[in-house]
Amino acid sequence: MDSTDLSRLQRRVRWAYELGRLRLALLGIAPLLVIVVVATRVTNRPTSTFWFGIATIVVGAGMLWYGRQPQKAVLPGISAGLVPLVLALCANHLHACGADSCSSHCVPACTLGGVVAGLAVAGVGYQRRAGIWFCLSASLLALLTGAMGCTCIDYLGVMGLGIGFAVGVVPVLLRRVFGGRSP
Amino acid sequence: MHTDPNTFDALMARLADGDRAVFSSVFEHLRGPIHRFCVSLLKHEADAADATQEAMQKILLRASDYDKTRPAMPWAMAIAAWECRTLSRKRVRRREAEETDCERGGEHPEEEFVRRSLTAAAVATLGELSDADRETLLATFWDEASLVSGVTLRKRRQRALARLRKTFRRLYGLD
Repeated sequence: MDSTDLSRLQRRVRWAYELGRLRLALLGIAPLLVIVVVATRVTNRPTSTFWFGIATIVVGAGMLWYGRQPQKAVLPGISAGLVPLVLALCANHLHACGADSCSSHCVPACTLGGVVAGLAVAGVGYQRRAGIWFCLSASLLALLTGAMGCTCIDYLGVMGLGIGFAVGVVPVLLRRVFGGRSP
Repeated sequence: MHTDPNTFDALMARLADGDRAVFSSVFEHLRGPIHRFCVSLLKHEADAADATQEAMQKILLRASDYDKTRPAMPWAMAIAAWECRTLSRKRVRRREAEETDCERGGEHPEEEFVRRSLTAAAVATLGELSDADRETLLATFWDEASLVSGVTLRKRRQRALARLRKTFRRLYGLD
């Protein structure tokens, strides 16, 4: 086999490798599709939920295909993001009505969910002594998953989720930085 | 190339994790042993080369499924063995199909033998004729323009054909 044939074979084999990874990534992200469908049906703003769901699926599949640290961050990220998602979807159906008007519990639920998700992601990263790419990937997926439910009141819920998440992540990050534990 | 199993296992584990930097090393570690294995199974260099290519594609297609707790080379060899078996079966099936086609519509080996024998006999008979007769018959066969034409050509052709028949009968005893 001459060098041209060899490099052609190597290209074909590389292509096969990438296809294999893509197939596994699509299989791995398939369960998220069920979550997106359920969330879209339950939420009050299905369009926003749908687009955040699509973004979560695409980003998650990309991370699974890429591999390494981002691949390992997919499950913790989505799991952490389920907390604000479920809280927000439940809160969408609860109202506190006073004499003049009703107020939604969506924003507080998203903020609380964000704090829990942030703590969870930072905790897993700290426990695994994971690198920065793990933390960033898990955070991105957790925020996207949570955002599917937090699209209430003109994205105020998403802002609450982001703030809550930052509040949850920061203490663990500070502990890691000042605790002297390297990734 | 000598394959250190521990090194290769580690490389495969990294590739399964998505570390593309080790792709070329894994490719180089695999190619030689897989090719030798296919040659030993198929006993045919060209078939082994085909099987090696298919096996390499299948192995790397499934690289992400690789179980890091198991040794990598036997896993890869198992895939290669399967590919060799598949290729071998395909070849057998194709050969059987060709034989069936031959029996149905193609020329049967016996017919082919008769045709070749007749051609050889015709060439031998032509060799017995004079140069003029041979040129006349060959020019007629290939539809070439002759120096003579009309009645003269027709007469020459008739005489050459008559002598060809006579010679054929003399040599083989039949028309």
